[in-house]
Amino acid sequence: MAVKFFGHFLVEKGVVSREAILAAFDIQEQKNLKLGEMALSMGYITQSDIDLTHNAQFFRDMKLGDLLVEMGIMNINQLDEVITRQKETHLYIGEALVLLASLTSEQLQHHLNEFKLDQASYVSDRIELPAGIANSKIWETAADLTYKMITRVLDLQFRTERCHIVTTLRSNLMMAALDLSGDVEARFILSVSAGVQKMVAKAILREESVENETTEILEDTVMEFVNVVCGNIAAKSSQMGQLINIGPPVTIHPPAAGIPVPDGHIALCFPIHVGDGEKMELLLLIRQ
Amino acid sequence: MKKVLVVDDSLSVARQLEKIINDSVEFTCVGHAKNGAEAIKVNHTENPDIICMDMNMPGMDGLTALRSLVVLDKEVKVVMVTSLGGVGDKFTEALKLGAKNIICKPFEADNVLQILREL
Repeated sequence: MAVKFFGHFLVEKGVVSREAILAAFDIQEQKNLKLGEMALSMGYITQSDIDLTHNAQFFRDMKLGDLLVEMGIMNINQLDEVITRQKETHLYIGEALVLLASLTSEQLQHHLNEFKLDQASYVSDRIELPAGIANSKIWETAADLTYKMITRVLDLQFRTERCHIVTTLRSNLMMAALDLSGDVEARFILSVSAGVQKMVAKAILREESVENETTEILEDTVMEFVNVVCGNIAAKSSQMGQLINIGPPVTIHPPAAGIPVPDGHIALCFPIHVGDGEKMELLLLIRQ
Repeated sequence: MKKVLVVDDSLSVARQLEKIINDSVEFTCVGHAKNGAEAIKVNHTENPDIICMDMNMPGMDGLTALRSLVVLDKEVKVVMVTSLGGVGDKFTEALKLGAKNIICKPFEADNVLQILREL
């Protein structure tokens, strides 16, 4: 039900053992050469070029390949050749498991088909953001996965409104917030009214009624929903080559006047309509 | 009946897991710890067969607790329950540290019980 990669899918389903997948990871580490190693094996650079470029990376926030080109050690055509060779020779986890005889080729194909079906609902749809937002692909993915999780986890019907930039986060009953760090720095916030909070609680607790639940439990369910969404954003981002760490979720009770967006940040608001009189917003407070 | 300890800072997740475990005929929940340090203490007093533990918790997180638990108790089987299961590095790290499997959030009852049965 969540965003996964193929190896995890196989272990979770009990198709291969923990020991087999760890052995397959080892084979991948041996066979899949890093960019510098591949360029070295193709004779385009020397070990001292790699050392020199690694040292330069302390001062320049650039990928190794781009830096090798900028420093004149390789040309752009050679870099393309190295990347192409990396892709052509990449050993995938399924192939490693076949090499280890943990799976047959037929079983691999069968489970790959099952995996594609399992993950089909997490294929990204396009979400339009205001122009000029850095790392827009990540934020589009964040909004898209939030919408998908509202459908799949909360089982709610809703209508979205176009994303826009806000200077104040509007007040609401509560906000569940979680900090994202790593390749991006942002705070993911889900703002909910009392009715939406109960809808979330019913879905998370799998209860018909939540009328007798404490405020602590009701708030906890919204935080947990945010935790699940952000974990899946981190998983999807890792598939896109971006590292995102997530912190523990927290609850915010915004004042009636709302919360001004702090200096050095931009706030994207994605209004989500779930019913008359109820307010739900996804807010991404992005450090610029 | 196998004894299971649930470790999660979220009250709602702990409640869901306890319900799934206690509604089954094979497992019983013997406690709930809210972070890694508490898990180590409760593991010592309750001696569970299985620990279902979150990764991302305030205080001592799940991976840090996992490192200690596999050293302190060679018998206990730890399954990580996390929204970060789909992040390749986290998945690999947990398995290398000794986790027996990883359950992704959101989870289904059938899936959780199937994984516990296969331990």
